[in-house]
Amino acid sequence: MPAAAQARTIRDLVCGFCGLGCDDLEVKVQGRSVRPRSACPEATALLERSDGVPPVPRVAGRETSLKEAAARAGALLAASRSAVFSGLGADVDGVRGVFDLALRFGASFDHAASGGLFRNLDTLQRRGWIATTLAEVRNRCDLLVVVGADPTPDFARFFERALPVASGEVADGDGDEAPLFTNRAHPRRVVFLGDLAGPAARAALAHYDVSHIPVPTALLADAMAGLSAFVDARSVKTLAGAFDGALGAALAELAGALKAARYGVLTWNGGALDPNDGERIVGHAAAIVARLNETTRAGVFPLGGRDNLIGAHQVALWRFGYPLRTLVAQGEASHAPGLYATSRALRDADLLLHVSAFRPDPPPAFSSGPLIALAHPHTEFAREPDVFIPVGTPGIDHAGQVFRMDGVVCLPLVKLRDAGLASVAQAAAAILQSGRTP
Amino acid sequence: MRVRVTNGRIFDPASGAVDVLGNVLIEDGRVVLDNSALHADETHDAAGCVVMAGGIDLHSHIAGGKVNLARLLMGEDRRANPEPLGVFCGCGGGVAAPTTHVTGCRYSQMGYTAVFEPAMVGANARHAHLEMADIPNIDTGGFLVLGNDDFLLRLIAQGESQTAINDYVAWMLSATQTCAIKIVNPGGISAFKFNARSLDLDEVGPHYALTPRRVLQTLQRAVTELGIPHPIHLHGCNLGVPGNVATTLATIGATEGFPLHLTHVQFHAYGKEGDRRFSSGAAEIAAAVNANPHISVDVGQIMFGQTVTASADLMAQYRNHPLASPKKWVGMDIECDAACGVVPFAYRDKSFVNALQWAIGLELFLLIEDPWRVFLTTDHPNGGPFTSYPHLIRLLMDRDFRAEQLARLHKAARAHTNLGELKREYTLEEIAIVTRAAPARTLGLKDRGHLAPGAVGDVVLYADMADREAMFSAPRLVLKDGRTIVRDGEIVDLVQGQTYAVKPPFDPLMDKRMDRWFDEAIGLKAKHFRISDGEIRGGQGPSIVECVS
Repeated sequence: MPAAAQARTIRDLVCGFCGLGCDDLEVKVQGRSVRPRSACPEATALLERSDGVPPVPRVAGRETSLKEAAARAGALLAASRSAVFSGLGADVDGVRGVFDLALRFGASFDHAASGGLFRNLDTLQRRGWIATTLAEVRNRCDLLVVVGADPTPDFARFFERALPVASGEVADGDGDEAPLFTNRAHPRRVVFLGDLAGPAARAALAHYDVSHIPVPTALLADAMAGLSAFVDARSVKTLAGAFDGALGAALAELAGALKAARYGVLTWNGGALDPNDGERIVGHAAAIVARLNETTRAGVFPLGGRDNLIGAHQVALWRFGYPLRTLVAQGEASHAPGLYATSRALRDADLLLHVSAFRPDPPPAFSSGPLIALAHPHTEFAREPDVFIPVGTPGIDHAGQVFRMDGVVCLPLVKLRDAGLASVAQAAAAILQSGRTP
Repeated sequence: MRVRVTNGRIFDPASGAVDVLGNVLIEDGRVVLDNSALHADETHDAAGCVVMAGGIDLHSHIAGGKVNLARLLMGEDRRANPEPLGVFCGCGGGVAAPTTHVTGCRYSQMGYTAVFEPAMVGANARHAHLEMADIPNIDTGGFLVLGNDDFLLRLIAQGESQTAINDYVAWMLSATQTCAIKIVNPGGISAFKFNARSLDLDEVGPHYALTPRRVLQTLQRAVTELGIPHPIHLHGCNLGVPGNVATTLATIGATEGFPLHLTHVQFHAYGKEGDRRFSSGAAEIAAAVNANPHISVDVGQIMFGQTVTASADLMAQYRNHPLASPKKWVGMDIECDAACGVVPFAYRDKSFVNALQWAIGLELFLLIEDPWRVFLTTDHPNGGPFTSYPHLIRLLMDRDFRAEQLARLHKAARAHTNLGELKREYTLEEIAIVTRAAPARTLGLKDRGHLAPGAVGDVVLYADMADREAMFSAPRLVLKDGRTIVRDGEIVDLVQGQTYAVKPPFDPLMDKRMDRWFDEAIGLKAKHFRISDGEIRGGQGPSIVECVS
């Protein structure tokens, strides 16, 4: 009889959930159980595992082996003519595996959290921008403008990571402590343009000069147009919105501060922007930064990237030459964000393959064909999938790599336990293999 | 498994075999001494063919964040150039910013079997490695970008010992699984983050008060003392600026005898003579290279047509972005490490400047005498896509063809180049040197770039044709580690390559320093920055290039 598993404390754990890429988490692992000791609320909820035995694969509700489930999935995919792959929550290897399936069987694909990314791509792909990364924000940013909603609910540790508080024990320019390049005698300034900062954000920024320019969501795009005009020293008279009162004065002051800053940064949570105005807001942010760079330095820092969204975006680009929301069929890839966004693509789909390894998010509603789920073992389905392959979570059940939200840093995840769960890459490989062996 | 190539005209200048009729025998993926008693499982008749080792491109931007940004901006290029349908289609495409599958296929279809990504930013190294692992049919390696990283600049500024700097450089090479050091605009990328818009070789930069000369010399010494085979791979100051020939000559003068590789030197060979204040500095650069045997260059030839420029030199890319075509571009400051700028660009033969750039590149190729110190590149995709190499080879080998092309250029540009008077034609031996033997030698790849026993079994058969462009576009046969991957210019198999890295030793105390730096300044653990051997090519691990002590 095996001895009871020893409890192990794992420190410096890398987290792949929200996209911020924190790598200092602590968990206690015993057998199959995982107990978070130090993590944000989202990571705590998503890391937690009991010692129980996870479910096994099912075909039409009947428990079976991975091999049989994969064979059934392979047969369904082979019979489909317009398959849609949704979710795409997987590590880099998992994404590669899912794309192998798209190449083999034909499918369009999209990620569950891509809404904000495509709001950003509307500007990035058509006009481009000047961006920055987390370590640059930490060390250089002297004026941070948070556009729209307070990002803390979705990215709990953003302010702590981006604007850490120096201990003050070492003089400017000595030691390694961030910020390396801002003047510590002159506190960094943070302006919330849009919603007010919540209590958690205020606490994280207690050492900094925090101010607010409250703007209702429906007027945010107009306010950004105004800020852009003030930065450009253009007249705001022709713009929609009232800029002759307090709002105009605040925006004019902010424009001046951005021009005077040495390294201004505009950040926003694309996923939380108003769907009607998101593209406009992003466009104005990029234009403001472009103008600022004529005389000083500035960058955009878009927040987003849950469940390795950015990894899926990167692999799609290097494999197919297109971002997500692309159809691969009959030897050709075609990119049409309007057509291949999951909700739109499902209208014409005859099969849905849903991938969600990071969290138990159910597949989108779909009733016009088979459902294959390579999904978190705790997923609660509104409809029993035709094939359910419970998959391990990267960073808990297997090692892997995920991209951070800024698209530059890619992080290694480790395996904490062995609960007998296949990875998305293994499940995809099994499906691919099923058609090849009699 | 034995594979024999028979009756070929062998061009293997590294082994001293030039235009020698003979056989090449490959056993289990390596060239072995041929012996007629040995039975071959496979025989390829190379009668009428020129036989060379697999081609090596030592400077081509094939993977990593800036390449993906280039793909993002180059949607039209991608749509217009899908991969051909068929068994080996990867559903990718693109010419200026091709997908990974296309990159591996097109390179191997020209007889290239190793390509080096010359600007891997440490913060983005894991991404670049993952992407390289998805490129079939070619071996790869990355050059680590240093010289604008805040940790290094601070070490130098604080007067730390060369030993400490060497330990840091070795730590970074190891952590990022790279095989050489690239410097991009020494100190200039960092200076741009502090809002400086230019930085000349002896100009003191902001914050650290360092000159590019000092950064260059410090890293040259580190690379030499660590025994890294490839010298500093330098993208110098003032890229693209008229008059930068003076900077480049001063840079050669600054080397103090340490070996130096000047990359895409065409972009650094501009004078400012004439009524348009833009002229060729090729003759001066070539004279300096000819006189300094410790200097090597790759040209970075420009080719007319649409491309995209992708560089870590955001200072230069910011300066150039108003010329973007189509009108869009991306810039990014990266992780207290480096930066990138991606600017689509169309080189036009009717543009005076572009036409002269084209001529300057060819002048450099023809005026630099020693083929062992000049490598064939277009700085893909910056000067043009790598798929233009066969055309470039013809320009070098065929004087009449060159004259025809020259005649099409902008008239004033023709008046500003002496290209028409340069009668030199590259020989097949010289092509074998500039595309094989010389890059292998400078990178320290002892088993590449030649066909002597012990070499990797990468062998290319080109049907000898008068039209050198046709000849080098579609080899009769390409063997990768002895396996046939291309036949008559078409892909017939896909194989997994390897990735090269150097592992110079360093004082373990550097681990502690880097732990603190990453923890406090960067906000990421050093151990998570570091890439393990198991992460290279899905667990295959790196192939180690030996350092010379």
